[in-house]
Order: sequence, then structure tokens, then C-alpha cells
Amino acid sequence: MEAPLRAWLPRLLLIGVVLLAAQTSIAAELRPFGVAIQIMLACAAAAGAASGVTQGALAGFLLGLMYDLGTGTPLGATALTMAFGGYVAGWGRQYRIEPRWWILAGLAAIGAGAGEAAVPLVRVMIGETDVVGRQMLIIVPVVTVAAAALSPLFVPMMRWALRIRPVELRLPADA
Amino acid sequence: MIVALALSSVLLLTLDLRGNQVFDGIRSGFSVVMSPFDRAAEVATAPVVRLWRAYDDYDRVVEENRALHAQVDAQRSAEIAAQNAIIENQDLLALEGLESLASYDSVTARLIGQSPGNFDQQVEIDRGAIHGIRVGMAALNEAGLVGKVTSVAPQSSIIMLLTDPSYAVPVKILATLEPTVVVSATTTSTSTTTLPGDGEVAPDPIESSTTSTSTTTPTTTTSSVPAVVRETGVLRGQGDLRLPRVSFIASSTSFGRIEVGDTVFTAGGSTSLAPPNIPVGRVANVITRAGTAGQELEIEPTADLNRLQFVRVVLYLPPSEVGG
Repeated sequence: MEAPLRAWLPRLLLIGVVLLAAQTSIAAELRPFGVAIQIMLACAAAAGAASGVTQGALAGFLLGLMYDLGTGTPLGATALTMAFGGYVAGWGRQYRIEPRWWILAGLAAIGAGAGEAAVPLVRVMIGETDVVGRQMLIIVPVVTVAAAALSPLFVPMMRWALRIRPVELRLPADA
Repeated sequence: MIVALALSSVLLLTLDLRGNQVFDGIRSGFSVVMSPFDRAAEVATAPVVRLWRAYDDYDRVVEENRALHAQVDAQRSAEIAAQNAIIENQDLLALEGLESLASYDSVTARLIGQSPGNFDQQVEIDRGAIHGIRVGMAALNEAGLVGKVTSVAPQSSIIMLLTDPSYAVPVKILATLEPTVVVSATTTSTSTTTLPGDGEVAPDPIESSTTSTSTTTPTTTTSSVPAVVRETGVLRGQGDLRLPRVSFIASSTSFGRIEVGDTVFTAGGSTSLAPPNIPVGRVANVITRAGTAGQELEIEPTADLNRLQFVRVVLYLPPSEVGG
């Protein structure tokens, strides 16, 4: 049972503001292999891994809008890619009721990788050129691994933000 | 749900790319809200960032320091000559009543953030609208052009670097021609006048005998002043790992003379957002394309865009903007 949007939106916005500040400060400076780790995208993917396609996509969309507003990228561009990342991570979530931590990390990684790979496609769609190149072979793996590494932190955080309660399994006799 | 979000994103993108005052206002307000969070994050993460830089940069910095020492020694004499040329140039421009880069006001700003993404080449500075900065203004540092302002908040601005694929600016290439060799014919005339004998009072010009000898000698002259050819084109960024390129070069008979090492400056003009004569870089490679596509130039920017700390925003508006 998903909580209504108005119940979790303030928490998500609060987390979004803090993560955006971290994205534009420490994540922009610490660049392993020259790649900026996408903290907000990792968080969006973690939201999808923790909740499912609907909340994952919606959380990714809202975090992406905040990213666009805060960094000057065309409004909607990052929202679209982060919504896609949250959706992809949430898509794998539906096959397990309560996945183990490493499955959640894998889902978050796949979602973040898909979201980052979608960025140049969106940029091409809005008329930019020369955004797809060999550097994608470095960017996507680094962002993916970083999302997996951050998922033990981000998945519980997004569970709190999205007000996701642990699944209760009841045997027929208990009902 | 994902379809609805995708459509919403496309709608927002369309409205934003067409230019929307409401979105600009929201962005500006969001920037104000985020400002204390950004400052707090900057302060809180500063030790970690310093540690990372110390680890990541040490070997490169040592090597770079050695190379720079050698470069400084080599450039000391060139600097003196250049300073003299600059002063002479300023004097001449002032004498002719022409504007130069020094005649525009500017705002010096400190970098407070780098691009948070992997597909945008942009930086954030700590000066904004209240300091007179407007969207489109050119940003440069001591070495040359850095980029242009793309977003302005009251106390901060975002600068798109000239390596960004969305960046474009009209430029001119100053191609120094090799010294020209001129073969000319020099004619030397020798006149011999034979006067009459002694006792004559005054020689009559008509009666006097004059013999003229003309000698033609071919002379080879090497011009010591290099000629400069101006070509214009549009410089576009190609992304972080690729050099910017100049395309749409105006065709002229002298195009083929552009060579690696020639200098590139902003062209200015009534519609260009950058004032003229800002150093941009040097030609690193001349690319010949098949057919009628013409040639392209790869430009090595003079400004080190990876090591920016301060930039100067030139408070220049093109005549078309001022007039409009």
C-alpha cells in the first residue's frame, strides 16, 4: 500500500535539497576516473528499488526537476532521465516481495545506469550534438557502481522519505 | 504513470527551451532557497574535497610545476615585448577613438561550483544580477575566453564553458603568413657628361656630349614584417574530451594559409554576445573534409578550463541588444 503523495512529498523535497547541495559541491569535485557521481540519480533509483515503478518514477521525476532548477539544465531533461531510472529500478522490484540488500543494490545500479545512459539521448532529442561519445563507456559504469555502493544508505533513506512500511507476511491461519 | 511523467517532461522542456519568464522566475527563486544549503554543503565538504585533491593532484602538480618553471623562464622576455605591444596598441586605439577590451567594464568572480553532471561543461560563480551580470555576457580569465553566462541569479551565475556542445561564438583566425619573397628588378642609371676643352666660358648643354648607361639588376627582397590574414568562422564546443572546432569559415583565397599555431580571437560584431579581440586559442589541427564541406579547425583554448579559480565577466552588450 503506497502512501499518498502529500504524505511523502515534504520528506522527499527535504532530502532533495540536501542531496542537490551535495551534488553541486562534493560530487562535482570528487570525480573518480573524471566522472561526477550522480547522487540524485542514485537516490531516484534507490526509491524505485525500495518502492516500485510508480513511486520510483515519481520520486525520480521530482528529484530531477529539482536538479534542473538548481543546475540550469533545461527544465524537464533530468526529470525525464531520473524518472526513467526510478522506473527501471522499480520494474525489477515487482518480482520480489522483500528483496535482500544486494538485490536492491543491483536494482539501484541498473536503474542509475539506465538513467545516466538516457541523458545523451534526451540531449540529442532537444537538439544538442556531440553528447554521445566514447566517454559513455566510462561514465555509465562509474555511475552504476556508485549507485550500488550508495544503495545501503539511500534505500533506507528513501523508505523513510516515501513512508514505505516493511511488508507483513501473514499465514492463512493468522488471518 | 511513466508515460504521463514523460509527457510532462517533454512539455516542460518545450516551454523552457522556447523561453519562459515563469520558469526563469522559479529558477531564480529556487537558487535563493538553495543558496544557504549550497554554502553549508561547501563548508561541510571542504575538508574531504581538499583531501581528495591532495591525493588526486599531487603527482600531476609536481610535474606541472617543473614544466611551468621552464615555461616561465622562456616567457619572461616575450612578456616584456608583449607588454610594450599592448601599450602601443592601447595608445593607437585610443588615438583613433576605437573601443578595445580594456574599455569595457567587467566583474571579477570566484568559482563556487563545477558542473554536477557528466554532460554539461559549466561552472558557477559568486556574482550575479545585482553585480550587473546578464545572460549572454562573455567570461574570460587572464589567458583568454572561458565561456558565456547562461543563467543569472541575484548573487550567482552559471557559465557555460566554450567546450560545451551548445556553445557557439563567432571568431576570427589571424593567420600569420610566412615572410614573402619578392623578386624585383632594380635599374641603376649612370650618366657621363663630356665637357668641351679648356678656354670655353660656359658649356652649352646642347653641344656637350652626354653618355647614359643603364644597368638592370634583379634583387630578391624578403619581407620581414609578417602579413596577417583574417578568416572568420563559428567556434563550437565539442564536449569535455574534444577540442572546440571552428566551422563555416568564410571562403577566401588565403584560407589555405591557415596553419597549426595560428591564433584565434572573438570576432565581435553587432550581434555577437562577445566583444571582439578576446583571445580564444590556437589552431591545433586543420581538418580537411571531403566535397564542399570545407575545412574545420580544431582549437586548443588558451584558458585552462580545468583549473579555473577566478573569471572576469565582461559587462558588454552587443549593439543589437543595446539598441533593442
